[in-house]
Amino acid sequence: MLPALLVLIAVVLYPIGRSIVLSFQRVEAKGGRFEYTWTWLDNYRALFRDEAVSIALRNSLYFTALDVLATVGIALTVALLLNHRFGRAGIFRIVLLIPWALAPVANGVLWKWILHGNYGVLNAVLKELGLIDTYVNWLGEPSLALRMMLLADVWKSVPFIALLLLAGLQNIPGYLYRAAKLDGATLLQQFRFVTLPALRTPIAIAVVLQSIWSFKVFDLIFVLTKGGPGDGTLMLNFLAYRVTFNFLDFGYGAAIANLIFGIMFVLAIIFIRLIKPGAPRSRTA
Amino acid sequence: MSPSRRRWRQLLGDTVVITGLGVFVIWTLAPIVWMILSSFLFQRALITKPPNLSADSFTLKNFQKVFEASDALINAFTNSAIIAGGTTLIALALGSAAAYALARLQVPAGNRIALMVLATQMFPGIVIIIPLFIVLTRFKLIDTHVGMMAVHLSFVLPIVIWILKGFFEAIPRDLERAAAVDGATTFQTFRLVVLPISLPPLFASAVFAFIESWNDFLFAVIMTRMNTKTVPILISEFQGNYQTAFGQMLAAATLASLPVIIIAIIFRRYILLGFSEGAIKG
Amino acid sequence: MSSPRILRSSISRRGMLQGTALAGAGLATTRLPFGRGASAATNLSVLSPLAPDPAPPGVAEFSEEAFAAWLTENDAAVNYEAVAWPQLHDKMATNFASGSYVHDVIYMSGWVPEFSEFLTPIGDLISPELKADLPDSSFSTVTWDGGVYGVVFTLSLLTLYYNTEHLQNAGISAPPATWDELKGYAKELTKDGQYGWVLNYGAPEGIGGTASYWMTFLQQAGGKMYGKDGLPVFNDAPGVDALQLMIDLMPYTDPSSISNVGIVDATNVLKAGTASMMMNWPFMWNEAQNEETSLIVGKLGSAILPAGPAGSASIDGTDAWTITRNSPNPELAMKLIEFYLSKDVQKRQVLDTGWLPIRLSALQDSEVQTAASNAAVVLDQATHPYESFVTPDYNAVTQTLGTEVQKALQGEKTAAEALKDASDAVTEIVNKRLNG
Repeated sequence: MLPALLVLIAVVLYPIGRSIVLSFQRVEAKGGRFEYTWTWLDNYRALFRDEAVSIALRNSLYFTALDVLATVGIALTVALLLNHRFGRAGIFRIVLLIPWALAPVANGVLWKWILHGNYGVLNAVLKELGLIDTYVNWLGEPSLALRMMLLADVWKSVPFIALLLLAGLQNIPGYLYRAAKLDGATLLQQFRFVTLPALRTPIAIAVVLQSIWSFKVFDLIFVLTKGGPGDGTLMLNFLAYRVTFNFLDFGYGAAIANLIFGIMFVLAIIFIRLIKPGAPRSRTA
Repeated sequence: MSPSRRRWRQLLGDTVVITGLGVFVIWTLAPIVWMILSSFLFQRALITKPPNLSADSFTLKNFQKVFEASDALINAFTNSAIIAGGTTLIALALGSAAAYALARLQVPAGNRIALMVLATQMFPGIVIIIPLFIVLTRFKLIDTHVGMMAVHLSFVLPIVIWILKGFFEAIPRDLERAAAVDGATTFQTFRLVVLPISLPPLFASAVFAFIESWNDFLFAVIMTRMNTKTVPILISEFQGNYQTAFGQMLAAATLASLPVIIIAIIFRRYILLGFSEGAIKG
Repeated sequence: MSSPRILRSSISRRGMLQGTALAGAGLATTRLPFGRGASAATNLSVLSPLAPDPAPPGVAEFSEEAFAAWLTENDAAVNYEAVAWPQLHDKMATNFASGSYVHDVIYMSGWVPEFSEFLTPIGDLISPELKADLPDSSFSTVTWDGGVYGVVFTLSLLTLYYNTEHLQNAGISAPPATWDELKGYAKELTKDGQYGWVLNYGAPEGIGGTASYWMTFLQQAGGKMYGKDGLPVFNDAPGVDALQLMIDLMPYTDPSSISNVGIVDATNVLKAGTASMMMNWPFMWNEAQNEETSLIVGKLGSAILPAGPAGSASIDGTDAWTITRNSPNPELAMKLIEFYLSKDVQKRQVLDTGWLPIRLSALQDSEVQTAASNAAVVLDQATHPYESFVTPDYNAVTQTLGTEVQKALQGEKTAAEALKDASDAVTEIVNKRLNG
């Protein structure tokens, strides 16, 4: 127990702590070093006044909400399919894992070329199929670009969540379904009264984890839109990067990071409160 | 319900499932198919409207060039393997011990600590990179395998602990009590009783740790120089400011995914078992 | 010591002019440090981009024997850290933030004022012979607060590139020489799914970002960014006219332009023959002749940028070498930079890798002029103004300015509104820096 704690402290807690301290300071380059001066709440005051922060916050919340909904929804469907007797073949599980195995760097560039407004293959395929008349600039308009990034992120996130839910499905004892059928339950009723309650905890865990990862999305924005056009696809994590690394405003970047952390922490507590009461109880007909 | 109607319903249900599976496979593999296809095309075939898939667009040159720089390739694969392998082993060793300790603690404290552990995941990596870089520089761990392992552990260890804690909590105490009666110490109990029956979640954690470490780019690029370049860094090098060697990048990315996929194939049975008993109960 | 100072992997040499240095060189450059064999030699550490971006001998494949000879002569060993371009700025920022010595020589592109506190002023260290052979204006982007901190090593200016076949088919005999001709030709060339103009407006900041493109038009209209006090003065007629030109061009601009995040995306469109004209850097010339990646081999023309009310103007790509403040061997580092800028190395730079030299004597060399056919155009462009307006908050300024330009291009704001908002924001940024 102790070694793990030590490693965690050195590698995780110190940088986090340093970063929190940084958010109360202003950093300037002077004479070959960075100087740190205490400015207390200035960075946070700036946070509230900054238009970019409000845009990023709005986009991040929108993106996270839809990302989690879509990922968990699709993953659940996939898990159900793979739990069916047709889907039991190992090949499906291997196919499932492939997006997860792809390096995020290459994933970003791949989607960039697929979605390109002029020579992207998505446009070519859709035009061939007759679904669109003219090429669409998928990343050119903020709301459309956000939805395309959702597509790419959902595609990459489904494998892990689907595995989680599939495991939960396989944990459900068969006799519950048999009992339900004996009572005359239809497929839909079986799903509602047997499957969903048993999946309550796995779904909750999936939602919490995916929310954290969605809120922190970075690679896709960096490669696909850099927050543009016109700051339309700006999100909090990318804004923190931009402020820290492009503007070298370490203090302000740390403040934004704390904002991200604060929001996620609150959301996580809300979720956990929601699932704690009412742990799954076995049903006796 | 009459027999024929039941059969008809069955048929409908089966069709839905088969269609569903088909859609799933197409949706998952479409970008991958394009990726592999692109790695066999000249770049000039990829910039036309629509992409030019005629015979003279295809080439092996992308893979050829990637293989020619085999020194760099082998170097990167070796580094990634060492770092990911090391991270996985250490995460398992430390994580299982920590998870076991947490599992046997009083419940409220255990859950609270678990929440703290989860909270470390919530901090965006972007901003802790600079303090982390300073820490590593002070310990002279920049551009070393050990340094990278430490960094990867920082975001792998919490999840591993979380998964394993859930599983350990579900083990019936009778087993451990029996061992204690036989005179085993806590550690012996852990090693000889608990671990052997925990192979599935251990494998699951291992696969997760390996994939996350193998694919990490952000930390790797900042914390390494020339000695411990990893595979994701290698792939990113195809992207220049003025030119991007798209075909070669995808060829390298295809090669880079292979080890991960092979490991996942080998351990696919264990992945499922592991997740079911570990994370769920957490 | 007779043992060779350069250790290398077994990759055969190839000329850049076939475009095969693409990533072949990118991967090949992850080699062992040069001259590591001799422990008595002084070690120099260099941070550089990867080929085919502008890179020195040892990273890009040219002048290797000369480099080996230099290492032996000066009893030095050079350790290269070659990094993919997008990560360069992040890496150096992190290194500087840690305060420890990492590199002696660092490549910079428009970041000199930003990092001037971490660099050694080298104005006095440059030999007079070298200084005389460099254009004076090339020093403007590496000078800050009275000190010269770097040396630009390649002449990289934006010029006009166009598809000769498209222009011929439309009956246009010469590339546009004025703003009006630019607009007119772009309109004529936009038909049948093809567009007259393409560019990358997707990333607002940095050199080569949306803001910097507007700055070329700003100068062509006779305007400039800052006044003597450092505060913005661009919110005037030239500024608005410049932005208005870009807006007027939008109907004839390939729609993907607004989301093209890097120059690569826009270059691809021109190389596919689906757009007719664009602004680009000198590397474009060789890139278009590479038949593996281009469909317009032999059909590319180059000219100076069309003249606005005040004539033609451009911006400097400003690829420069600098020396860090905490380098233990600044004199040796300077010698290395002078080696990179020596006559022979500069000549081989263009002949083997396609990046134009900065030395005036090399640019006027007949062999160079024949081999690099666009050298004459770039030289011509260099006789017009090419100010990049680099300041310590260049990133923040171009981010905000570029974003306003993007909004204007998308029709969300008028040119006047966008520039006013930009001017207010930039004033705030500059004031914050000046007044602490």
